[in-house]
Order: sequence, then C-alpha cells, then structure tokens
Amino acid sequence: MPPSLELPQGTLDLLILRTLALQPQHGWGISERLQQTSGDVLQIKQGSLYPALHRLQRRGWIKARWATSENNRRAKYYELTQAGRRQLEIEKNDWEKLTAAVAQVLGTA
Amino acid sequence: MFSDLLFRLRSLFRRSAVEAELDDELRFHFEQQITKYMESGLTREEATRRARLETGGLDQIKEECREARGLHVLETIVQDVRYGLRMLRRSPMFTIVAVLTLSLGIGVNTAIFSMVDWLMLRPLPVPNAKQLVYLGMRHKSGYASNGFSYPNFEDIRQQTGLIFSSVAGAQMVQVDGLEVDGTTAPFWTNYVTGDFFSMMGVRPALGRFIVPSEDRKADADPVLVISYACWQSRFHGAADVIGKTVKVDGNPVKVIGVAPKGFHGAIAMLHTEGYLPMGMVIRNLGFKSDFFTNREDSEGTALFARLRTGVTLEQAQPVLDVIAKRLAQQYPKADDWTTVRVFHLGALPPSSDGPGEVPMIAALFLLLAGLVLLLACMNIANLLLVRAGVRSREIAVRSALGASRGRLVRQSLTESFLLAVLGCMGGILLGYGGSRALSAIPLGSSIPIILDLSFNWRVFAFAVVAAWLASLLVGMVPALRGSRVNANEILHESSRTFSGNRQRLRSVLAIAELGGSLALLIVAGLFVRSLQMVQHVDLGFDPQGVFNIGIDVHEAGYDATRARRFFEDALSRVRRLPGVQSAIFASTVPMGLENDGAFLKIPGYQPPKDQDRPSAGYDAVTPGYFATMRIPLLRGRNFLPSDDASSPYVAVVNETMAKKYWPGQDPIGRSFVLDGEPAHTVQIIGVAKDSRTGNISESIDAFLYLPLAQKYEVPVTLQVRTRPGQLAALMSSVSGIIRSMEPGMPLSDVKTMTAVIDGPNGLLLYQMGAGVSGAIGLLGLLLAIIGVYGVISYSAAQRTQEIGVRMALGAARSDILRMIFRQGTVLVGFGIALGVLVAAGFSSMLGNLLVGVKPLDAITYVGASGLLALIALIACYLPAHRAVRVDPMVALRHE
Repeated sequence: MPPSLELPQGTLDLLILRTLALQPQHGWGISERLQQTSGDVLQIKQGSLYPALHRLQRRGWIKARWATSENNRRAKYYELTQAGRRQLEIEKNDWEKLTAAVAQVLGTA
Repeated sequence: MFSDLLFRLRSLFRRSAVEAELDDELRFHFEQQITKYMESGLTREEATRRARLETGGLDQIKEECREARGLHVLETIVQDVRYGLRMLRRSPMFTIVAVLTLSLGIGVNTAIFSMVDWLMLRPLPVPNAKQLVYLGMRHKSGYASNGFSYPNFEDIRQQTGLIFSSVAGAQMVQVDGLEVDGTTAPFWTNYVTGDFFSMMGVRPALGRFIVPSEDRKADADPVLVISYACWQSRFHGAADVIGKTVKVDGNPVKVIGVAPKGFHGAIAMLHTEGYLPMGMVIRNLGFKSDFFTNREDSEGTALFARLRTGVTLEQAQPVLDVIAKRLAQQYPKADDWTTVRVFHLGALPPSSDGPGEVPMIAALFLLLAGLVLLLACMNIANLLLVRAGVRSREIAVRSALGASRGRLVRQSLTESFLLAVLGCMGGILLGYGGSRALSAIPLGSSIPIILDLSFNWRVFAFAVVAAWLASLLVGMVPALRGSRVNANEILHESSRTFSGNRQRLRSVLAIAELGGSLALLIVAGLFVRSLQMVQHVDLGFDPQGVFNIGIDVHEAGYDATRARRFFEDALSRVRRLPGVQSAIFASTVPMGLENDGAFLKIPGYQPPKDQDRPSAGYDAVTPGYFATMRIPLLRGRNFLPSDDASSPYVAVVNETMAKKYWPGQDPIGRSFVLDGEPAHTVQIIGVAKDSRTGNISESIDAFLYLPLAQKYEVPVTLQVRTRPGQLAALMSSVSGIIRSMEPGMPLSDVKTMTAVIDGPNGLLLYQMGAGVSGAIGLLGLLLAIIGVYGVISYSAAQRTQEIGVRMALGAARSDILRMIFRQGTVLVGFGIALGVLVAAGFSSMLGNLLVGVKPLDAITYVGASGLLALIALIACYLPAHRAVRVDPMVALRHE
C-alpha cells in the first residue's frame, strides 16, 4: 500500500465538491474516485469522509438522496446544490492562488 | 442559514432515522470495500479483515458525524429542558406555588392590559385608522369643547385641503326612536355630512352610503344607513331591507345601506346603530331652522378628518393654528376660541380636550399591576434561592464533574424559563377570566357601550413579554449566585454552616416585597377611602324610595301639545295608585346621563374679566318636584300648576346660583333671560337648597329649575316617590300604566334613584377603582405574606441547631421567640419604610383621581402599614413557634 498523505485542512471539502461536480456519487464512490484519480496517493478514511459529507450537507452545499447503486444496492447519493457549485468555484480559485503562491515562495527560496 | 437550521432540526427530531441512515451508509461502504478486495482476488475473510482494519472505530465515526451535523447545542437544550422538567416534577409544592404566583402576576397584568387595550390602543376597524383625527377647541374662558358650528365645518373643510384629504361633520350620540313594523325602540344615531363614510374609508355591506348631495336635504328624500348589528337584530339580516321605509322619531325614512360588520361609528366603544343625513337634524332633533348658517348659537357639530398620506399631526397643527386665528379675527363673537387642536381619533370618545385623564389612569393601573408581577418574581426568586441552598451540593457535584459555569447558568435559566412558560399559560387563562369579570361590570345604563375585552395579538404579546421578563428576572439572581460555587468548599463543608450572603439577599427580597405590597395596599386604601367619602357626600336630596322611568315622547312622534297632554294624563293616573306619595316629570335626573345647561343674560350683572358669559345647568320640572326629591326650599314659593305657558315665566335657583349672580342681594323677584329665548323674561320665585346634580364628585355649580310647562324638553323622566316597601311593585305597575296609554312608547332607564347613584356619573367609577385596586392590593399582600413566611421559616429551620445549643445552655423559649421576632420586625420595619416611599411616589398620579382624600392621607398610610405589620408578624409567629418547640437534643443532632 503506498503511503497516504495527510490532507491540509479544508482540502477534503474541495476534493469532495470537485468529485461531485462530475456526477452524483455515494460515499464509497467518492473515496474510490479520489484514490484512482490521485494515483492511490489520496486514501480518504471513513472517519474523515463521512463527517465531511455531513458538514457540507449542513452548509447546504451538497444534498443527499437514496438511490440504487450500480450493483443494485440501496446507497446514499450526494450531489452538488447551486450554492455548492458556487462554493466549488470559490475554493478552486483560492486553492489555485494558494498553490501558486506557495510554489512561488518555494521557487525563490 | 435556513437549510442549516432545517438540517439540524431534522437531525434532532428524526434522530433515530438519521442514525439508522448513517448505519446503512457506513455498512454500504464497508461491504463495497469487501467486494472490491474480493474482486482483486482476496478470500472473503481476508477482505473483511482488511476492510475492518481500514474503517477503524465505527462509534467514533458516528460521533464525529453527529458533531458535523451540529447537533451539540440543540441536544444540550433538549437535555436541559428534560432535566428541568424532572427537577420541577420532583418538587411539586415548589412548582405549584411558583407557577400559581407567576400566573397571578401575569394574569393581573393581562387583565388590566386588555382594559387599556380596549380604552386606548385598539384602532377603529377602518383602513389606515392612524390618519383619522378629530378637532377640539378651547374658549377664551378656558372651557374646552368639540362642538363647532356648521359654518365652521364648511370653513375648515375649505381651508384645510393641504393637510386633510377629507373632513366630515357629525351630530354625535343622538337617541332617536326607530319604528320597524309597528314596534319602537331607542336608536343610537349620528347625523352625518355626506363625506363621513368616504372619510372613514369603509364600504357598505349592503346598499350604499349617504352621499354629499344628500347631506343637507332636510325633507326631500330622507335616507338611513344602519349598522350591521342593527340590521341583524332589528331586521333579522333580511336582504330586502334596502329600500324599506321605517320611521325615525315618527318620520318616515328609507333604508339605503348597511355599514360593514364590526364598524360601529367614529367612537369605537359606542355602538352607533344608525346614520342619518345632517339635513335631518332640523326636523328630527328640533334644531333651529338656521342651523346651517348660524355661527353664534347653534348646536355643536363634531369635526372629523383624514390626514393626507404622509402628513403628521405635528405638521397639521400649525396649519390649523393659522386657520383658527383667521376665523377668530373674522368672527370674534362666534369663534371666541384661543386654540383649535387636532387629536388622533382613538378608541376613546372624542373629548374636547384630547385624551384627558384616561392615559394616566391606565398608566397608574398598569404600574400597580406591574408591581404585583415584580412581587411575584421576587417571591419565586426567593423560592429558587431556597432551592439553590438545598441544591448547592448537587450543583457542586455537577460542576466538579465538568459542567461549565455557562452550562450551569443556562440550566438554571432553563428551569425558570419552564416556570415562565407554565406561568404564562396560567396567566393568560387567569387574565382571560379577569377580563371577563371586568367586562361583566354592569355599566348601569342603557347606552350601547361595546365593552369588548376579547384577547387579540396585542394582549397576547403583552402576556408573553411579561412572562419573558419575569423569567429573566427570576432566573438571573439564583443562576448567577448558584453558579458562583466553589465546588471544593461546598463538597467539604458540612451542611451546618449556612451562607450568610444568601440569607442577606433573601432578606433584601423580603423587604422589597413588603414595601411593594404596602405601596399597593396604600393605593387600594386611598381608593376605598375615596369611595367612602363619595358615598357619604351630602346629595342634597333623598334618593330612597324614588324610582325613575325614562320616557321619550319625541321618539314616539309626539309634538309639544300632545306631549303635555300625555304628561298630565300620566301623572294623574300614577298619583291615584296606592303607595305612590308623589310623582313628577323632570327633564334631567341627578347623576343621570343627560345634562341641560344654558347661557343667561342677567341685567346688571358684570362677569369678572377672565370668566365666560353667565350660565347655569337647569332642570325643567312639573309642580311637586321639590317635595318628591325632598330638596328643601329655602325661600320663596314652589311651582304651581298655574305657572304655564300663558303666565309669566318663573324659575327657582339654587343657593350657589343666588350667591354667584346676586351676591349680597335677595334674588327673589330678580329676573334674567335664557340665551336663545329673548321673548321671555324669567323671574325668580324661590331659592332651593344646593343639591348634587351632574357628577357626584364635582363641586356644586349654579343651577336653576324651570316649569316644564314653560320650557319644553324631551326626553323626560317620570320620577315617583313611593311609601316604604312599595318600590319594586310600583315600578312594574307604573310601567304598565304608561304602556297601556301608548303601547309604542319607548321606555328607558327604568330604575331606582339609588341605582342611578351607583351609575357612571355617580359611584360606579369609584367602585370600580376601589374594586380593582383592592383586588391588586390583596394580591400584593398575599405575595408578601408568602415571602415573609418563607424567609423566616427558612432561617429558623437553618438555625435549628443554634437554637438547640442556646436552649441547652439555658435560654428560655421567650428569648428564642424574641430573637426570631426581632429578625421579622427588622424586615417589616424596613419594608414599611420602603412601602411608604413608593406609595408617596404614586401620589402625584393619584391627586386627580381621589375625592375627599389627600394622596398622602395619614389614616390610610398608618392603617395599611399597621395591617401589613400585623399580618407579617403573624407570618413570623408560625415558624418561630415551631422553632422553640424543638427538643434541644434533636436539634443538636440535627445535621
């Protein structure tokens, strides 16, 4: 198992929002997708994922409904709300600014 | 924000469902993970083991999810409420006493407030009622009035277009007779100008309203608008009422419209049953034919207006000042006013001088009721302090187990909040009952007053705010003290020590309660004394054995000649009845609702500079009046049957009038002329002893008596003096005689003279004042007794051990008693000092409301203080008695 990285505070929210922007997805699906797209670098623990999902739901950025999964099981699907879409844009922007700034600092150091 | 709240609430109230969902979700994840590992070639056991390893502690995940859902705050509130309810249930006596006390406090406030709401706050049921105003003026003599001449109405309407969108005039509160299908009954009407309804902004429920083209037409096409309630009661809600011809005062009129439901005219508290065009005042009310043009001497018209949108009262007043000044210069004799003022039209009848004393009375009673609530709060705070003492260990334990100070304060506030909610519900119930009781006060008159103290959102909001304030007051004290515990100290301390600090606070509360209660008692005492004074006022006549029957021959359509014949006929029949001593007709009744008055021209009399023209109240009576009322005639002769319309006009004056207009002279043989009747010089033939005529508490003014035969007035009252024990039987048989003479004759106010004296112009207001303030005072006293008893018995119980030691060391019971009483006496002494100060603070408000009693009446102050001291010391005696009966051995072992 490749070593998993510790995510900076708040980054998980951004990643979840980004994942859900593609299509509605259940919790397991989100963690799978993050693992795949990050080349197994990001392995999200359930202890982080589900509280984050509940927090995002409380803020009204995502909403949940029960539906049938690919393998015919009942699963709770999350999807972005309008507010969630806006939030994603904001956080993406912030993230880009932040990484650019960090890169600049590291580059000049 | 909103979604946040919904989400939290859903989490809270559908807690098990949300938890189950979370379980399902996590299980799904878990199983997906197993499937994934199995697909990559692991055995089931191996896959399960790996998945479980990854997942970690399920409970921890769930807890973190719960926190993420933001459940924490709400959950603790629910916990607090549950805990609070459990604590209240565990000490039912405390809960019952506290809730009852609070209910009484809030109930009294709610009941009084519903009265104030009815009197002052409730707007007329019309669109934008705040724009409605009425006008009042003040004459040079200082006399205030709101009766304008009809030309004034036209002047003001034409000149105020800038500030008023419409102006209407009305002859208010007229009593006519309405004859529908052969039966006549009193009918309370307004005679209005054509703008009246459009100014009010109401739409007819049926038909149409009076229009401006109709308002001055006297006889051409008389029309009538009736109130909704009148339509229901007199016409049984028949749809074909429109176009129906009925008779008002014997004159046929056509019903053209029905006012909307709930609209009772310009005076919210009076039910105006019908509206007629202003033009009909000449025929129906007998006004002079030049009513519409006469500036100087015509019946007063009340003026109403609607402010233009955006115009305030403060902006309207200066405009009116200019107009008033201009008119006063133009017509110095007719418009002899100093100011014309504009007032908001509220629930109170438009009075000539603005809202008058009512706001002050309302403020006084709200203050008194507020004081009761304050006493109730102090009482509960006191009870909570006792409990805080008892519970200090419990609180210390909780604090030691990690409850924060904020949590403990919140817990305590939650408990008092629960008490407040219960007390608020009880208070609203009691307040509802109380306002019902107030509505049931017999007003003792046939006036259709709408005493509607029903609850509305204002009253409800008031009760809730009162309860909320109470819970804050009650909860704060013990919460702040209770949380300031030093857990370590209390847990180590034995229950023997008792906190001197807390005891001091309780004593302060008890003193405040005694003081507040004494203030209430003193105010109540002043009102009761005032009532006594008024009850013992020398009326100057003898009401015992006399009864009255109001008869309106005018409503039955009689003219003066026919009326006179009817009077003579009725008197001779009534006088023949056995048991009747004497019977007369009079135009007014002492302390009755009608008053007559006139300006006089007195040859040789020069009024002092600052005074108005000479005037006097009068009563037109038939011969035998003075004997019937037992008013002594001091000089001169009585009226005789021969003093009729064809003989010289005569009058009897009262002492005050004789002294006022003919000082130091013999008034007999002097003469004067009634304003408006210049054809007849009236000669004085007698002087009667002063008697109360108008309002029982007013000073006696100049008054004169005229023969009814020479001064025709309607309606009249038949007054009959009966032999002892015959009153009740004769009342019905005399009514029967009048009915047999004229079946359709409207009779009103059939009641004894003593009942009239109990009425609105007599004792009614004093009885109400004494009754309401007395009830409030007793309530305050009750609360103070509970408070003092609580403090003394608690401190006596706390000192059981000390008492045991003292007695073991040889102290006599009397010493112990004295010791406890000393504590009580100190409380009572401070309480009385405080109460006297508070009551004295009320005195400036009371000055105008009391009759014959000074606001600082020594008898009341001493009496109330004595009563309070006595009762408070009795409240001390019980716990003191219990304390000294204790066996020293038991007391010493008491832990």
